[in-house]
Amino acid sequence: YKFCGRGLSKYLSWISKIQVNQPAVLRRAEQIQARRTVKKEWQAAWLLKAVTFIDLTTLSGDDTPSNIQRLCYKAKYPIREDLLKALNMHDKDITTAAVCVYPARVCDAVKALKAAGCSIPVASVATGFPAGQTHLKTRLEEIRLAVEDGATEIDVVINRSLVLTGQWEALYDEIRQFRKACGEAHLKTILATGELGSLTNVYKASMIAMMAGSDFIKTSTGKETVNATFPVAIVMLRAIRDFFWKTGNKVGFKPAGGIRSAKDSLAWLSLVKEELGDEWLKPELFRIGASTLLSDIERQIYHHVTGRYAAYHDLPMS
Amino acid sequence: MAATRAAPHAREIFTSLEYGPVPESHTCALAWLDTQDWCLGHYVNGKWLKPEHRDSVPCQDPTTGETLASCLQAQAEDVATAVEAARTAFKSWSAQPGVARGRHLTRLAKVIQKHQRLLWTLESLVTGRVVREVRDGDVQLAQQLLHYHAIQASTQEEALAGWEPMGVIGLILPPTFSFLEMMWRICPALAVGSTVVALVPPASPTPLLLAQLAGELGSFPGILNVISGPASLGPVLASQPAIQKVAFCGALEGGLRLLIQESVWDEVMRRLQERMGRLRSGRGLDGAVDMGTRGAAACDLAQRFVHEAQSQGAQVFQAGDVPPERPFYPPTLVFNLPPASPCAQAEVPWPVVVASPFRTAKEALAVANGTPRGGSASVWSERLGQALELGYGLRMGTVWINAHGLRDPSVPTGGCKESGCSWHGGPDGLYEYLRPSGTPTQVSCLSKNMNYDTFGLTVPSTLPAGPEIGPSPAPPYGLFVGGRFQAPGARSSRPIQDSSGNLHGYVAEGGAKDIRGAVEAAHQAAPGWAGQSPGARAGLLWALAAALERRKSTLASRLERQGVELKAAEAEVELSARRLRAWGARAQAQGHTLQVSGLRGPVLRLREPLGVLAVVCPDEWPLLAFVSLLAPALACGNTVVMVPSAACPLLALEVCQDIATLFPAGLANVVTGDQDHLTRCLALHQDVQALWYFGSAQGSQFVEWASAGNLKPVWVSRGCPRAWDQEAEGAGPELGLRAARTKALWLPMGD
Repeated sequence: YKFCGRGLSKYLSWISKIQVNQPAVLRRAEQIQARRTVKKEWQAAWLLKAVTFIDLTTLSGDDTPSNIQRLCYKAKYPIREDLLKALNMHDKDITTAAVCVYPARVCDAVKALKAAGCSIPVASVATGFPAGQTHLKTRLEEIRLAVEDGATEIDVVINRSLVLTGQWEALYDEIRQFRKACGEAHLKTILATGELGSLTNVYKASMIAMMAGSDFIKTSTGKETVNATFPVAIVMLRAIRDFFWKTGNKVGFKPAGGIRSAKDSLAWLSLVKEELGDEWLKPELFRIGASTLLSDIERQIYHHVTGRYAAYHDLPMS
Repeated sequence: MAATRAAPHAREIFTSLEYGPVPESHTCALAWLDTQDWCLGHYVNGKWLKPEHRDSVPCQDPTTGETLASCLQAQAEDVATAVEAARTAFKSWSAQPGVARGRHLTRLAKVIQKHQRLLWTLESLVTGRVVREVRDGDVQLAQQLLHYHAIQASTQEEALAGWEPMGVIGLILPPTFSFLEMMWRICPALAVGSTVVALVPPASPTPLLLAQLAGELGSFPGILNVISGPASLGPVLASQPAIQKVAFCGALEGGLRLLIQESVWDEVMRRLQERMGRLRSGRGLDGAVDMGTRGAAACDLAQRFVHEAQSQGAQVFQAGDVPPERPFYPPTLVFNLPPASPCAQAEVPWPVVVASPFRTAKEALAVANGTPRGGSASVWSERLGQALELGYGLRMGTVWINAHGLRDPSVPTGGCKESGCSWHGGPDGLYEYLRPSGTPTQVSCLSKNMNYDTFGLTVPSTLPAGPEIGPSPAPPYGLFVGGRFQAPGARSSRPIQDSSGNLHGYVAEGGAKDIRGAVEAAHQAAPGWAGQSPGARAGLLWALAAALERRKSTLASRLERQGVELKAAEAEVELSARRLRAWGARAQAQGHTLQVSGLRGPVLRLREPLGVLAVVCPDEWPLLAFVSLLAPALACGNTVVMVPSAACPLLALEVCQDIATLFPAGLANVVTGDQDHLTRCLALHQDVQALWYFGSAQGSQFVEWASAGNLKPVWVSRGCPRAWDQEAEGAGPELGLRAARTKALWLPMGD
């Protein structure tokens, strides 16, 4: 779906008129967390499903081939085999949705996953992650190099200054160029919502990112002070729904940053189920960016299966 | 061992990602019912009252129909026992310093906090309401209410000086209600020192549990008494001599009417239907449902309404995850209902929403105000100016801008028109259970042989009583309607005698048609006057005060002929002028801003005019009482229809000469004639927004009876004279309170 010429300017003028009602969004966010819970086997099944949405992530300055390798192994075997057997889920091939690393670690990840004999995609952050404050030329080059190294998903950060100064068309052009540089790889656009100033800006940036061809829109880098929050998510999910209603294209959603507990992940699943419906609850359209979430989910599964709370050493580290 | 706990069908859930049951255990509610041997009585004076030989009705789980307990039905003597307990408790409770009462209410809040699980599971179990709503909403708000009113009680001596508690309050609750509705009423009553007897419908255990929690605090056991019984006991409770006030409570919020601007109709309907499709109904005790049930009767009501609407041409949308069996009814959207069809006028039952389009904001306002109901409404608009215009224009007790259903103990909640005129919460709620100190105790003196059909129906004919003699100029003649003196419709007059029995003058004999004309004139003047700034209103009242002073000698001589000494007559004129000035000044200080917890943004407590206020003046103080009633009514922005003193209406007519030159036409209308007849006409007029009656006990009884037709607020004197020359009774805050109504306007903010 291409937006250009008059079609584009029509959409831009529509976007400029959008207003998001912040107090109402906050109330809806509060409601949705209180109104939906799952218990017992429903909870176990939902948690296993949540595992399949995780982009298992490490984005640290001290990442080396060894901890990348460990991460990839964990991505392939996220839950202890005996626990899955107890739930009769061992043949469902439960892995995380992807691993997500810095561009310089893409090679390590690709190699490690190959060695483990699995086809989990490698996602790379790019375009001057996390601030995006580098030259456009180097940002584009970064995407190309990551794709060359074998990344099949690219998590780009947008240029926040374009949002804050209202240069929507320029933002659209930049993301179009990212899209081109990705080639076959999936484009996941990080809006860094904690730095956009208002929910109205979040909605507008979401729309622009989707019009420019993003496969996913993602809340945050995990490096801002405010990360994935429910109000922001509601605004982005409504933007995704509006985009679907207008164009028929389904765009994915990826919250990231600050999602640490199993309970959180359930709330995110029900949020997407409530706002977009079951058709969005698959790894092609929903991801959770997280590093420590997986171990908490594994602990909860352990508790569900055994009736006991796991000790730290009962479960393998990632 | 590990595998034994594993679920048989985690695999299927993994694929379908459906929601499962989240049952909330209600064992503690059952255990509590067990302590009562599954038989609930009444809770009176800190003890369970289970008299013998009483009928009992079963208390059923509305979802399953299973009987949970049996509830004894009270009889008249049980009501009397409860009222007696409350009356005894009132003596010690009202004598406590406010701080002590505050402490007691705080202790009750803490007890509720300690036993909240019992409270919320019991309430959800027996009402079928969603447990999450009760747990996160009602129970928390109940505690906040107690804390708020504890603070009000502790400052009562300073903040509410000059007021005293009424005494025993009778509270009558409707067949379906939330225990929170009871809390909204008992908290202020208890805080100010009144005690309560609540008559709850058969089979409602939660109020009994609350009474038990309150009673087990030890001290003051009789302040809250709960008896359960049929609605027919209501009059029995009301007629108990010790009962000083009866408070009613409407049924739970029903369905909704939704007005959508044509230009966004399609978009809004699409989103609404999408969202409705995701609502989940189910057993109230499930932690993951949005809607419970309100029992089989509510289900039938909704079904009947929807069928009728369909047969009248409406379209119906139903969706959501709803159990197929009764008593569950899906959330329903009714649209394209022809505006003139009966369903478009009828009350919408729960859980139905009727949506209709409008073209302009003005039209929306006319439609929304064009119903007899006036409880609450919400306005959704991104344009602040437009939202405020609608918020101020809606004749409702509560208006939320871009929000719905928010409540807080410090914000007065109430209604206007047929939604009733009582208030709970905030300062307004406290005054409901207070009366000015020194007001005589109300003795229940409802006369049984009052004939409502004939009271004031006919006017005794009056004949010429001789020529007018006495000091000229002759008094003005005619009814003062629409800014000028007019001849009465009946074209006859009544003689007015002076204190020595001589003819003082003739006044026009007003009738039903004249009242109709006066009310119409007042309505025409109302929007203009209500739109005036308080400063402008004060200016006119001050001008009238100056005019009275200029007319002092005429007024004084007319008073003299009524037997008032010259000195006293002059003082009365001067005091009247002072009253006008005082109310002019008070008009400036109206309403204020509230800050409530959990909300960013202000809540405006507005004081709005009632509309057309009818006043029947007392016989005594023919000038001062007239002015003392006129001034607050006008200062608060009302337009008035006044029936002056029957004994001497001439002074009011003298004042009208100045009103004619100073005030806009129709602002103040004065109709003379037979007081009973005019009272009847006013009380039975549906478009009079409030009625103040200062006259006989019999007239008061008629006014209260007749005003039930449109639930207009009334203020009656029951034949007790007031000291109009005293500040407290002649110009006290009570007049200001009754001359305007409160509106709470919620303005959440955020970007």
